[in-house]
Amino acid sequence: MESNVLEIKGLVKDYPGVRAVNEVSFEIKRNVVHCLVGENGAGKSTLIKILTGACERTCGEITLNGTDYCARNPKEAREKGISTLFQELNVVDQLTVEENLTLGIEDTICGFLRKTDKIKKIIAVLKDLEPSINPKERVSRLSVAKKQIIEIAKAVAAETDIIIMDEPTAALSESEINRLFTIIKRLREKGVTVIYISHRLDEIFTLGDYVTVMRDGKHVATKPIAEVKDRSELVQMMIGKTVIESYTPKEKPAEELLLELKDVCNHKLRNVSLRVNRGEIVGFYGLIGAGKTELARAIYGADDYSGEIRLNGEKLGKSPEKTIRAGIALVPEERRTQGLFTLLTIKQNISAMNLKRISKLGMINAMQERNTAKDYIARLNIKTDSMDKETSKLSGGNQQKVVFSKCLFANADLLILDEPTRGIDVGAKAEIYAMVRGLVEQGKTILFFSSELPEILNSCDRIFLLYEGEIKAELQNGIDINSQDIIHIVTGGTAS
Amino acid sequence: MSANCNTTNLRGVKAKRLIKQIYVYVILAIVVAVLSMLKGDLFQRGNFLFPPNIANLLRMSAPILMISSAFTLIFITGNMDLSVGSILSLTTVVNAILLLNGFSFLAAMVIVLSLGVVLGFINGFLVMKLRITPVIATLITMNAYQGLARYLVPPGISSITNTDTLTMPEWMGNFSKGQVFLGLSWAFIVAIALLIGLVILQRRTVFGKYLVAAGGNRTAAELSGINVVKVVWGVYILLGAVSALAGVARASYLLIGEPYTGTGAETEAIIACLLGGTVFSGGEGSVVKSFVGALIIVCLTFGLKSVIPEYWQMLAKGAVLVFAVVLNHLLSKETAVA
Amino acid sequence: MSKQIEGKNLPLAGKISNESYLNRVMFLVLIALFGIASLTIGNYFSTATALNLIANNWYIVILGVGVTFLLVSGHLDMSVGGIVAMAGVLSAYFCQPANEGFSELGQGLGMPYGVAIGLTLVCCLVIGALNALFIAKMRVASIIVTLGTMSIARGVGQVAALGAQRSAGMPDIFGVIGNVPLFGPIKIAAAIAAILVIVALYIEKNTTFGRRTYLIGANREAARLSGIKVERHIALLYLLSSLLAGITGILLASEMKAGISTRGTGFEFSALVVTLLGGASIDGGVGSVLGMVIGAMILGVVSSAAYSMLLRPEWQFILKATVTFLAIIAQRYLLDRRSR
Repeated sequence: MESNVLEIKGLVKDYPGVRAVNEVSFEIKRNVVHCLVGENGAGKSTLIKILTGACERTCGEITLNGTDYCARNPKEAREKGISTLFQELNVVDQLTVEENLTLGIEDTICGFLRKTDKIKKIIAVLKDLEPSINPKERVSRLSVAKKQIIEIAKAVAAETDIIIMDEPTAALSESEINRLFTIIKRLREKGVTVIYISHRLDEIFTLGDYVTVMRDGKHVATKPIAEVKDRSELVQMMIGKTVIESYTPKEKPAEELLLELKDVCNHKLRNVSLRVNRGEIVGFYGLIGAGKTELARAIYGADDYSGEIRLNGEKLGKSPEKTIRAGIALVPEERRTQGLFTLLTIKQNISAMNLKRISKLGMINAMQERNTAKDYIARLNIKTDSMDKETSKLSGGNQQKVVFSKCLFANADLLILDEPTRGIDVGAKAEIYAMVRGLVEQGKTILFFSSELPEILNSCDRIFLLYEGEIKAELQNGIDINSQDIIHIVTGGTAS
Repeated sequence: MSANCNTTNLRGVKAKRLIKQIYVYVILAIVVAVLSMLKGDLFQRGNFLFPPNIANLLRMSAPILMISSAFTLIFITGNMDLSVGSILSLTTVVNAILLLNGFSFLAAMVIVLSLGVVLGFINGFLVMKLRITPVIATLITMNAYQGLARYLVPPGISSITNTDTLTMPEWMGNFSKGQVFLGLSWAFIVAIALLIGLVILQRRTVFGKYLVAAGGNRTAAELSGINVVKVVWGVYILLGAVSALAGVARASYLLIGEPYTGTGAETEAIIACLLGGTVFSGGEGSVVKSFVGALIIVCLTFGLKSVIPEYWQMLAKGAVLVFAVVLNHLLSKETAVA
Repeated sequence: MSKQIEGKNLPLAGKISNESYLNRVMFLVLIALFGIASLTIGNYFSTATALNLIANNWYIVILGVGVTFLLVSGHLDMSVGGIVAMAGVLSAYFCQPANEGFSELGQGLGMPYGVAIGLTLVCCLVIGALNALFIAKMRVASIIVTLGTMSIARGVGQVAALGAQRSAGMPDIFGVIGNVPLFGPIKIAAAIAAILVIVALYIEKNTTFGRRTYLIGANREAARLSGIKVERHIALLYLLSSLLAGITGILLASEMKAGISTRGTGFEFSALVVTLLGGASIDGGVGSVLGMVIGAMILGVVSSAAYSMLLRPEWQFILKATVTFLAIIAQRYLLDRRSR
């Protein structure tokens, strides 16, 4: 039997305008825990999507157990030997554990369910992994951690060769994480190889046998963990040389207090307290699950929270309608589902957040609306032949510009940007950065939430680092910023 | 630590779960108790619980009991079928026509059931293959089937009944009105048998399991290899067949083919399922509890008939539906996680 | 691959909106159907037919206004038919004098007509408020709630009319507003409908209220994040719909000089049909009152043609169903093809 369970040779994935996976080649040995790390945009997710059949490679070879591997959908991938644990759990809450384990593979006689040895075998696998789970229990009553274990058991019982786990510890408590690690280590004994993706570098060191680092779509290195010196080496591989454009600090330091948070808590956030001055660009950096979007939405009033948020000394309302009136606007993380009205035109989108301004006594001034749209299309360089085009037809970058226009038109003093350049081509990104700088010159204040370090470092005056819903550090930009330290902190390390 | 950590009230959660399990039975008990106190001495003539009265009630209610039980299944998959009433109307008329023209009971039933299968097939096609929203798709078929039902009754007469040359067979009423056992009719016994069959389907077959999977988490179901389209289509066919069976029972009870007899049946089925704790979003539902919910409706309809005038029925029905909606909403707040 | 439909292959340059495109297509369908009917049915092509089209369908248009706005926002209202019946009966009941010696059905509350109408509309708004509470606030599925409120409304009508109708000893003023003649068979109710349509067209396209309706229907969450008070808006739409249904019921009762408890059966489906025919999307965000009016005319032509061909009245059910089905499929196909 081969010692490599999976071999990837020259894998390439191109999207229009960008090469997400660039000639990646490496091997995964059998019966190990093989970790995959890299920043957002490094290409990990795309690689995984190809392995699980969610998208198609452009070219390259993948060999599983010595034979060619190709999967057109997750179901086929599973049949061929690669199972995946996604963050959205694929269990049916309304069925029992036993029923979930046998879903799709039941033994039947004339359509009636039969309890055969197959079921007993699967339950044995589950009991082996986690004896405290009662097979007759309804899955809805179980914790996320236990639901994960059920999925693992199902994959093991199906004798898959590889189980991919994508950020599995995001929703788990410490004891649950320990249990998961025990299970993963046992999987090796059962002949399963685990591909483990996580941003939490400590986990990599605890759990992993091997690690593959990707950066900018390329494969950087694959090493046994034993040969990796320490976190810093890993971090160095992940970020390479971060080129910081000349960040020019402000001439006149902003000193007037605009926004203040005191002990803000909700399902994700833990005692967040901070201050933002007028005219600053404040960055919030952290990886997936750090709580960035939750913080952005809490400030905006889109989600509930306990604690206090004050704008200009006044307590801020807890609904978007109130915060907009107070002068805040949010560019949401999910452009298509939260920021844009895809069925409607550019013109109609731009005015959506401030209909009052283009209307009088409830009657829309069509000319004013058209002029507004024309103005923003020009200002933000939105590429379209008509303002009456449905926004669903625009590219990602142009769509984002429409969302920006909408927020700008709302006449906000404080703009909250949540991952504003996600999924956008390089050219549009640069335009957005320039726009952000321009806004600050006009006296606006920006809260910039992002999981891309370079853009945070290029734009922001002050940077908050988030991890697990907490603010772990506050940095002043321009003063000896060390990217390595930053990565260290946002992956769970302690500040030095 | 986070100021928002609230300790889940475990005892409260267990209590809520218990309430969810039994409330439909409690409501039935209350309704029956109240009705029995309205008029007459208990169990004596004139009282709601007078045994022949109950037997009469059960004989009459076979169609709605059948439809409500099967309706649960469509709810479980997260879909809707508003055409059941029209299928009931149409199959009542067709059954009457067949019997009038000399078909035997069995032959007529087979033909009518086949018709139900076809009608259900069409529903499934519109919803699953053409992917028209279930509400709109079944509103369309509801109207089409109802129109057909009325169309089959010759103009000028209001329902299929004895003519100059043909008469309904004298045994026509046996199925729904003939008293077999303790005053119960064959139709009612069939309704019970159907209920048992559906329970077995729900709990013991692969199909029943796949219904829950399809309604609870369609992605997970498809990932496990389940053909959700086929499964849900099958439910529409089943519901069509059951509605047709109800039509046979209805025709036997009425002794005529009344084309508007099914009007409102879908609303009653919805109320029954809501009272039985079925959830719109899918994945949950109990055939037995919907049956009990249907019994509640039947008791209210029948029991109130002698107490309040006929024209209060509609208002009462609407009020019960709204009540059931509120109840269902309050109780469906998720019971937390262990 | 290209499906050449005579005269309907409009330039697909993408210059006009989908809505306008569908409106034009449906208008051509209307003309085509009217033409076919005129050619195949004797005496169909006449001013009488055209006038009757308006005279017989004005009420669906009024209901359709409310239903269109709701559908654009992504919601259904199946209670309008019941409200029509309720409004008719209540308007009769409230102004029917307490005639001595008449049976119960002949004894009303004897209010002045203006008060009677006002109170009736208030009752309709109560139904609308119920819808608003359950659908906008509690977020229960609109189909189920409005089926319930339909039963409640119709039930109130039945109780107030004892299952039949109220027409005995009505004051003269009761029959006035529904019967003021305008032109031929067209009465003032049609003019009211026309005015409502014009107002609705204006609101739909030129007011913030109309715009918010589209925004909510296009993306409810984005609308909320854009500062729109979504729950309040949906509540208003249901109140509006119930009010329009009430007006319709009052006018119809006045026309018949009777409050009939069985009136309005099937109206909710007809209103939905004409809205869908007009190009409204079931999921919301797309639709127009103009399209709905064209849809009403199409339905009217189909119905009157069936009537002229001496088809039995139950064909109405089948025709409505078929026409809706064809419209949904055809519109989906045309829009698909357009966006390729």
